Amino acid sequence: MQMTDSQRIAASRDKVWEALNDPEVLKASIPGCEELIKHSDTELEAKVKLKVGPVKATFGGKVNLNDLDPPNGYTIEGEGSGGVAGFARGSAKVHLEADGPNATILSYEVDAKIGGKLAQLGSRLIDSTAKRLAGEFFTSFGEQVAPSAPEADVEEAAADANSEPAEEKKKGWFGGLFGGGKKDDGAEAPAE
Amino acid sequence: MNDMTPTREQREAALEGMGCKRKRVEDVRFTQGKGQYVDDLKLPGMVFGDFVRSPYAHAKVTKIDATEALKIPGVIAVLTAEDLKGVNLAWMPTLAGDVQMVLADGKVLYQNQEVAFVVAEDRYIADDAIQLVEVEYEELPVLVDPFQSMAPDAPVLRPDLEGKTEGAHGPRKHHNHIFNWGVGDKDETAKAFSEADVTIKELISYHRTHPSPLETCQCVASMDKVKGELTVYGTFQAPHVIRTVASLLSTIPEHKIHVIAPDIGGGFGNKVGAYPGYICAIVASIVTGIPVKWVEDRMENLSTTSFARDYHMTTEIAAKNDGTVTGLKVHVLADHGGFDACADPSKWPAGFFNIVTGSYDFPTAHLEVDGVYTNKAPGGVAYRCSFRVTEAAYCIERAMDILAQKLDMDPADLRLKNFVKPEQFPYQSALGWEYDSGDYHTAMHKAMDTIGYRELRAEQKAKQEAFKRGETREIMGIGVSFFTEIVGAGPSKNCDILGVAMFDSAEIRVHPTGSVISRMGTKSQGQGHETTWAQIIATEIGIPAADIMVEEGNTDTAPYGLGTYGSRSTPVAGAAIALAARKIRNKAQMIAAHMLEVSEYDLEWDIDGFQVKGNPQARKSMKEIAWAAYHAPPPNMEPGLEAVSYYDPPNMTYPFGAYFCVMDIDVDTGVAKTRRFYALDDCGTRINPMIIEGQVHGGLTEAFAIAMGQEITYDEMGNVMGASFMDFFIPTAVETPHWETDHTVTPSPHHPIGAKGVGESPNVGGVPAFSNAVNDAFQFMGSTHIQMPHDAWRIWQAAKDLGAHG
Repeated sequence: MQMTDSQRIAASRDKVWEALNDPEVLKASIPGCEELIKHSDTELEAKVKLKVGPVKATFGGKVNLNDLDPPNGYTIEGEGSGGVAGFARGSAKVHLEADGPNATILSYEVDAKIGGKLAQLGSRLIDSTAKRLAGEFFTSFGEQVAPSAPEADVEEAAADANSEPAEEKKKGWFGGLFGGGKKDDGAEAPAE
Repeated sequence: MNDMTPTREQREAALEGMGCKRKRVEDVRFTQGKGQYVDDLKLPGMVFGDFVRSPYAHAKVTKIDATEALKIPGVIAVLTAEDLKGVNLAWMPTLAGDVQMVLADGKVLYQNQEVAFVVAEDRYIADDAIQLVEVEYEELPVLVDPFQSMAPDAPVLRPDLEGKTEGAHGPRKHHNHIFNWGVGDKDETAKAFSEADVTIKELISYHRTHPSPLETCQCVASMDKVKGELTVYGTFQAPHVIRTVASLLSTIPEHKIHVIAPDIGGGFGNKVGAYPGYICAIVASIVTGIPVKWVEDRMENLSTTSFARDYHMTTEIAAKNDGTVTGLKVHVLADHGGFDACADPSKWPAGFFNIVTGSYDFPTAHLEVDGVYTNKAPGGVAYRCSFRVTEAAYCIERAMDILAQKLDMDPADLRLKNFVKPEQFPYQSALGWEYDSGDYHTAMHKAMDTIGYRELRAEQKAKQEAFKRGETREIMGIGVSFFTEIVGAGPSKNCDILGVAMFDSAEIRVHPTGSVISRMGTKSQGQGHETTWAQIIATEIGIPAADIMVEEGNTDTAPYGLGTYGSRSTPVAGAAIALAARKIRNKAQMIAAHMLEVSEYDLEWDIDGFQVKGNPQARKSMKEIAWAAYHAPPPNMEPGLEAVSYYDPPNMTYPFGAYFCVMDIDVDTGVAKTRRFYALDDCGTRINPMIIEGQVHGGLTEAFAIAMGQEITYDEMGNVMGASFMDFFIPTAVETPHWETDHTVTPSPHHPIGAKGVGESPNVGGVPAFSNAVNDAFQFMGSTHIQMPHDAWRIWQAAKDLGAHG
């Protein structure tokens, strides 16, 4: 699965670059990220909760930052296993271009692969899910770097990570029923 | 004769014997939800097993840690290959002469492969525990394309076979090569091609699919440690073979193993083999002494236990300008997945694929099959067909159409020209079979006349012209298929499973009051044996079918048999039933002679008893004779009236049929509508026409599914993509076309009642009829061959590639 897109962020290129290397910002931006531990400047470890169609899993894995070219960009690569649900791996080539002194065009090229039950059940949903996740990431990221919009999403994500497991499960259920899940299921129906 | 005496017709009708449209007796319980299936079984203290499966298609398994899983209350054990090694069961033999991992031993070879077996007090606990078994994998390069299997740099899938140059079926030429099987005359065939006026060559692929019975594979194993006896209830098409294998593997004596196959919800080949689930449940019960149930879910069924087909057939025909075929050359690349677990008779690595000369008189032919390993599930079962016969029928029927196109001949006329003629039977085929009987021309002409074949061709021509003029966006296809099956495996001279000859058996006991219990070595999975077997006995011994109970599936009570698959039940067990019944009738004749005080040679059989020749008033009915057998048998004769017969067939049987499919295709949407489907079957003597019709309807529906969309695919990472009913096409009443059925009757000369078997004919003949219809529709645009399955998307794509979308 591949996709490319770009986004304008109302912050200087240096500021954006800095944020791209800040685990706290990344953690708040990665959808479903529960943990992000920095082992070195280029090596991190993450725990991410992901839902594709009917399959939900917590992925644990490594995140590496490669091809560092400050402040023009880098490649962020991740690989994680979700146990019986399967596995995922992907990379995003991120490029930053100054759009005047106070704005930056962030463009990205994502290449992602999934395997296991995720792929068996969710393959037809993976493109739309990946687009949604990428969109969520860069929206959150933009808000972190240039907090013009309300930070509701970020807070919610943080609250999610700290809540009790039982509650989380419940929320996941409702989310699946009325949130993104429902939309995905709808998108899938005509293909039957 | 007074008014109360039934007429001969009434007596005959009362039997409900052969030829009668007797209603299925098993349906009384099935239609009321009272069938007794494996999953209905609840034994005291029973626990449940379920698998941890691999998300990877090819990986090393470096660590399995069940510590967390075992902490959950209710989890009894987590079995791994290391545990199974203790009882020498980490690997098991396959029917094809290979070995297969029961649980991952150091690596996995396909996605969803069994890695560990969790045993817990209930299914939910088992599922929770599965999530907590930590398995570490180290990914290996994935091989999904069989055409890349034997590339020099292809990854080694089976390190356990490293250095083994000799396989179960001869030399291996590459580390991913399983076997090469050749048959026919290579030189003669080469000569035929060099002298041919016309030749064709096409790669015809039959995609991977799955039998997907409504009920998945399942079992309950129960070890009685005090008695040292093991009882296994399971969805077994061949219960006796399962018991023999279980005894050989477990070293429990065979008489202390009780294998019971209760009602089965469809098999279609899926329930012939032995699977890791059975082994693990048995081992778990032997170790714990408590009953263990294992039930597959739908995804597990579709992605692990026994796919079907996956044959890639490069097919060449040599012919004269007038259409006479002079040679056939086929090379098959067979994708067997990670282990060769094909369910074929032991000596036949590609089943009976050498029936590929079909219904045609090829003077010479040559066939080669190469089996290869890939990172896919093992299997290769006969999905409602005799071993690899469906693949062969598709191959030759598609190729004959391609030849007709090249010669600019009508495909039906080309077939008529090359059919084996009635006077040639018994016919010796170029690839080694002896066809028992057939009258192909009569069947074909009857089919063509019934559907109005010439008129349909004229209509098609007119429609093509209208399409070219831009007046319509719809095109029409006429699919012609004339198949010859080979069923009834099989004669002991060339058919065995793990060394056991493929005979079958029947035991008939007539009780003093004249009712009957009868048991066979076969096992119905929906075929209606309880109905039809009783009909054979009724006709043979003159006791009404309603008074005959048929029982199958319990290895303690039924005589040994090889089970039900490959349309073998009627050709083999059906013969055993008739012969056992005739033993009873012979004894009954002696008893009747004693009762009537005449010589047995003075008696003649008359529907339901014996009468004195020339004096029909002096007669004894079978009911009277049965009573006498227990009450006052003739002096020097053993009392009782029962018989057993084991039947080793002298030859296979060769059912055939002519199928026609008329299809209308919208080139802009790819939607194909089946306007008519006509199926003429010749299965020899017909035991129950209603059951035959039902069998044909079911088989045609499966053929429709396979040809028009049903498929198991893999992406480049080895993710199995067709493993749920979201993706795997199962037609409902909405999609299924209307079926028109018809028949001719050419009895088998070597079978006691002349029957040939029919259950699988519609799948064998149906798939080429559908595929030929789609291909026929696009022929006028210059298309030669479009690969199956023909779902709307692929048809649309084919139309686009041919420039039909402008």
